[in-house]
Amino acid sequence: MRTRATVSVGDELPEMARVVTREDVKAYADAGGDQNPLHQDDAFARSLGFPGIIAHGMFTMAHMAAAVVAWAGEPAAVVALSAQFRAPVFMEETIVAGGRVRSIEERPAIAVLETWVRVERDGRTEWPVKKGEARVRLA
Amino acid sequence: MDPAAEGTTYPAVPFTVEPSRVAAFRALFGISEGVPPTFVTVAEFAAFPQVLADRHLGLDFSRVVHGSQGYVFRRPLREGEELLVRARIESIRIKGGTGFVTIAMDLEDADGVIVCTARSQMIERATGG
Repeated sequence: MRTRATVSVGDELPEMARVVTREDVKAYADAGGDQNPLHQDDAFARSLGFPGIIAHGMFTMAHMAAAVVAWAGEPAAVVALSAQFRAPVFMEETIVAGGRVRSIEERPAIAVLETWVRVERDGRTEWPVKKGEARVRLA
Repeated sequence: MDPAAEGTTYPAVPFTVEPSRVAAFRALFGISEGVPPTFVTVAEFAAFPQVLADRHLGLDFSRVVHGSQGYVFRRPLREGEELLVRARIESIRIKGGTGFVTIAMDLEDADGVIVCTARSQMIERATGG
């Protein structure tokens, strides 16, 4: 676990990038239990107006959680996590999770992080997760 | 979706934190130990069928997108433990044909302690165009 003395307001989490593949999304559907065809069937996704299948919002949030856990040192230190889903993620796109320490609470020591997931698409930055927040216990 | 369904509670559903499923989650997201925070989604899916089957609520899942998600933990989940998942409809708002429902789920351990509360906001898109 990260110690209070090593954390300051404004600290940035190391960004974590991953390419989202069809295989990952299928594996996520099996692991997570969400078998919605929007995430597996291109024809179905097109019927809803998407160009093809999209990743689960929870896939993207799990990636954001991985970036928080990597910074926190262990999953058990994460006492709260939230995300607003603002943009879809298509296959073979690179999602980048990041965050920064917004405030620190004392007794008990908790770092409050703002977190996000971004993707570069057609020369613009889109935000699959905006206004994410994580609360991380510090030793 | 019927706003009068706000406040509905559903019977508790048992859920086991299966180590093999936890391991699959860890492997997929490169987490080396413990239960990943968003693994709670698996417990939510155990209780979700009751919500979908609730005709009084009338949520049409084929028109649903996931708006936001939050988790608050009293303690981390433990691999192998058995929990009860209690779902409730925390709020329903309808704006111009679009429905916003917040489904809260409490994960309760064998001692009756709520170890995690999950909140999902689902957006039910308007029919037609």
